[in-house]
Amino acid sequence: MSRVPESEFVEVMKAAYGDKIKSAEVLRSKRASVLVKRETIIEVAEALRDEFGFTIPVSGGAIDYPKEERMQMMYYLMHPEERFILIYRVDLPREDLRLPTLTQVWEAMSFHEREAHDMFGIEFEGHPNMIPLLLPPDWKGGHPLRKDFKGEGVAE
Amino acid sequence: MSEPEIVPDIMRISWGPQHPMSGQTRILLDLDGEKVHRIIADLGFTHRGIEKILENRTFLQGIVPIERMVMADTPNIGICYIKAIEEAMGVEVPERANWIRSLVCEMARINSHLYAFGLQAESTGYFPAVFLWTTVDRAWILQLFAELTGARWSLNFFLPGGVYKDLPEGFENKVIEGVHYLRRRFQKYWDAMVENYTFEMRCDDVAILKPEDAIRLGATGPVLRGSRVAIDVRKDEPYAAYRDLDFEVITEDACDSMARTKVRFREIVQSLNMMEQIAKEIPDGPVRTRVPFFARPKAGEYLSRVETARGELGVHLFTDGGMNPYRVKINSPTLRNMYVFERLAELDEILMADIPVVINSIDPWYLDSDR
Repeated sequence: MSRVPESEFVEVMKAAYGDKIKSAEVLRSKRASVLVKRETIIEVAEALRDEFGFTIPVSGGAIDYPKEERMQMMYYLMHPEERFILIYRVDLPREDLRLPTLTQVWEAMSFHEREAHDMFGIEFEGHPNMIPLLLPPDWKGGHPLRKDFKGEGVAE
Repeated sequence: MSEPEIVPDIMRISWGPQHPMSGQTRILLDLDGEKVHRIIADLGFTHRGIEKILENRTFLQGIVPIERMVMADTPNIGICYIKAIEEAMGVEVPERANWIRSLVCEMARINSHLYAFGLQAESTGYFPAVFLWTTVDRAWILQLFAELTGARWSLNFFLPGGVYKDLPEGFENKVIEGVHYLRRRFQKYWDAMVENYTFEMRCDDVAILKPEDAIRLGATGPVLRGSRVAIDVRKDEPYAAYRDLDFEVITEDACDSMARTKVRFREIVQSLNMMEQIAKEIPDGPVRTRVPFFARPKAGEYLSRVETARGELGVHLFTDGGMNPYRVKINSPTLRNMYVFERLAELDEILMADIPVVINSIDPWYLDSDR
């Protein structure tokens, strides 16, 4: 099962892992998206790498939805043969931002998880080297890419 | 960075950010004698928060700050953001504008690769003249940029719906003239540098990155293609006029620093061919579809990808129906390649003296990785 175009991938994904993911869809041509449950993120990620062949880690980042009291962590993966991008997402409640690290599946997600930790304050459990990537080591100003970030020196 | 760990027989030295060869970053090297035991990249010296800045600008205003990510390669960065906006607004780009975009993008690619090539020459320690040659030859491209757009570096020439204005009178002929000039120069570069014994000694078999490692570690651009993996966004998802242009994905088999340099060199030659083809075959027609200045695209998410000189750039644009983007996630190529650089010491034996050669074969641009 190594050559799968995006629509076929979504169908197979839903059939095989329907109970472990929340949704899977094709956004447009060459873009697929999978929203996974937090408990099964490692299991499904390993299946994506070994079974479906998403071996290229592209990037990772998060987005903040304060109105819905959640954040979403996104991992961008690429299929080396079909060349489409999969956005692998997981929702986190804003008061409990813990997530098992995906560096155990794709080693290269290390930098992207460190950046998400700097910018959004997501805690990646088991990350081998969780030190600030872009922010200064003595930064106390909060998490800049959160929507409620005001910036240093800005009056409330 | 965290507290330094003390390991017996390992000396840790800090290279950069003031070192002339390191760029705006610091690299910690754990040395075991002359051998590099471990590389740690300390990024973030040029973090400007571009992603946050974009959230506070309208879609059109955002084009200016995002182009500052890579100054040598501004059109390739700008087109990625603009493609995402166009998808969000549902704007069609006229055919001629697409061809002009490809022309400007290829010129910027040559500019950027020439700069990287000059730095690589500098880092081998023997060719200060080559950096000056490339600087002089880049001036030719910058002059054409100035004539076309009014700016030499940060062009801001592309707009949602097309390009700012049409090519000036006789511009195509100047492009062809310049292409002929640069082709002659490249023969000189090839003889003086790539086939030079000293350069081969410094670059051959240094920092070998096997194809499976390149894929696993998320390499991109010339680093990936220098390891035999033929992935190029211009082929996979043709944007601008790349569907109609004749080019192939350039790969090298050797997987070493020399291979990565050669990929860049051959891409310059290929870009020159593309520029000549565009100058000869560019179709007539309008160059811009008007879009409202304060446009409010409908809510959604749009991920656009382009091939910049350093590799695949992605812009993931989230809109909520307002005048500004809700969030812009930038997938930068240098950040991916810097991770590969960190791991290289584990994959192959690297000497301290090879570090400038290795890092310039990656062609990092720290303003791109830090954003």
